[in-house]
Amino acid sequence: MDVALSKSGARLLRAFFALVVVFLYAPIVILLIFSFNDSAVPSFPLGGFTFHWYHQFLTNSELKGALGTSAIIAAVSSAGAVLLGLLAAISLTRRRFHGKAAVSALLLSPLVIPYVVFGISLLLLFHTLGVPRSILTVVIGHVVISLPYTILVLVPRLDQIDVSLEEAAFDLGASRLRTFRSITLPLILPAVVSAFLIAFTTSFDEYAVASFVVGTRVTFPIYLYSALRFPNQLPQVIAVAVVVMVLSLVVVVAAEVGRRIAERRIGSLEGAG
Amino acid sequence: MALAEAGDSPVPLRRRRLRLDLTTPTLLGLPLAWLAVFFVVPIAIVAAYSFDVYSLNPGPHGFTLAAWRDFAHSSVYLGLFWKSVKMSLTVSAIIVLLAYPLAYYLALSGTKRKYVLLLLLIAPFLTSYLLRVLAWKVILGNQGVVNSFLYWTGLRSADHPLSQLLYSRFAVMLVLGYIWLPFVALPIFVSLENLDRRLLEAASDLGASRLQAFRRVTLPLSAPSVVAAFLFVFIPTLGEFVTPSLVGGATGYMYGNQIVDLFGTGFPDWETGSVLAIFLLGVVALLTVVFARFLQPGQVAAD
Repeated sequence: MDVALSKSGARLLRAFFALVVVFLYAPIVILLIFSFNDSAVPSFPLGGFTFHWYHQFLTNSELKGALGTSAIIAAVSSAGAVLLGLLAAISLTRRRFHGKAAVSALLLSPLVIPYVVFGISLLLLFHTLGVPRSILTVVIGHVVISLPYTILVLVPRLDQIDVSLEEAAFDLGASRLRTFRSITLPLILPAVVSAFLIAFTTSFDEYAVASFVVGTRVTFPIYLYSALRFPNQLPQVIAVAVVVMVLSLVVVVAAEVGRRIAERRIGSLEGAG
Repeated sequence: MALAEAGDSPVPLRRRRLRLDLTTPTLLGLPLAWLAVFFVVPIAIVAAYSFDVYSLNPGPHGFTLAAWRDFAHSSVYLGLFWKSVKMSLTVSAIIVLLAYPLAYYLALSGTKRKYVLLLLLIAPFLTSYLLRVLAWKVILGNQGVVNSFLYWTGLRSADHPLSQLLYSRFAVMLVLGYIWLPFVALPIFVSLENLDRRLLEAASDLGASRLQAFRRVTLPLSAPSVVAAFLFVFIPTLGEFVTPSLVGGATGYMYGNQIVDLFGTGFPDWETGSVLAIFLLGVVALLTVVFARFLQPGQVAAD
């Protein structure tokens, strides 16, 4: 006898699970359907099948510009967040110092700050300093937001790997940097990549903070938000939505699967060595 | 070079260890400096603004509690805050109740594909936030999918759409629930997955029914993760402004929207806006500190 769940209970829960999955995916499927619908308004009855909206967004330079701006911001801010996150994660896992709990609380606190509060805080800072709003100001904000996520990915991995490997390299005369480059970095590389991807997708999708500090070159979420107010742009926005959603799903799933495979492989190497 | 160093007396070795310890500030310096300048100082500026210690407006300034006093006596701002609290509480409670059986099914039904199913459940959370809101805008609008389907099938005439669907408190809560549901299942799943099955077997051997075992063993042991899941949703939705601005209309207007509007282009009042922002931050900080032992993000991420 299964102590956690009766047979009928399991059947009931499976049905409930399926129902929730339908609820979660239905809106995405509906977007997918209407992205091919030959009608300027996304409503029933469905018109014919068309690639028109995809074609239209491919020729929309404003939209492509926004996607490009977001890609640049996401790439730069996630590189920055991973670098800072690595420094912080190494300190937290490999060093002993006073006030570690407080430091780690501070490093993770951007996770819980309401983005509206952080957004206006940055706005006031840049006003005070007289810094004009630009791509750079968005990057600065996104590094702060992504930093805790990179730390949360890197710390468990650093905790996992055998410190004696680093100590051995160090005892054999390798410098701190050399030890990091030849031993630590290769071992945590999968986690570094997945930290980068998490930071990248966080930044690429970020609207709330960006809306306060964005300059004249708008990001993709900012463009989307303003496009949502003009119904005539809705169908091509839906087409973009489908492309971006599918791409981000592929990236995220691939990153997670890749990380697990890579870590398992490294893990077996460690075991053999 | 390295050999020569290693061959020396223990003194240089100790010196090298010493140099190593000195690198901790170097390592931590950059991340902490970044957060100090772009996170702590900006919040301090807002706090200073709320007390009128600092202002970008010309004119005399000095410490005053005037804006805070106005806030404390304002039925509008406090009323809006309570409305947001109620909306967030309702959404968080409902989706935690929905997520618990999902997590229970994945962790304890013995299904072989539990990680595939878990990924299936979480994947929508990893796609664009704005686009998921967009989907509901398309679905709920007066000319949207639901209404046009009703007209098309003749269940409702086009003159009488279900107009409460979009731009309402209901729409905001539905969309927020939709967005956060996959995420809350995660911490509950992790805790149920780590539950020692032998405890359930022991309960069963001692004559407990499944329901008793659930109430006396499983539920108490997974309760901390339920609290954590609840807060993971409650904290971000409390200060939410993007979803209500897109699907909320007038009745779905939340506290976060008020903050944005006070810093907006219409009738900006940065001093009052700062008070509202710092108050929200204080509430969130208090929640985080009080429930700190439930909120261990490392445990969730460690999976």
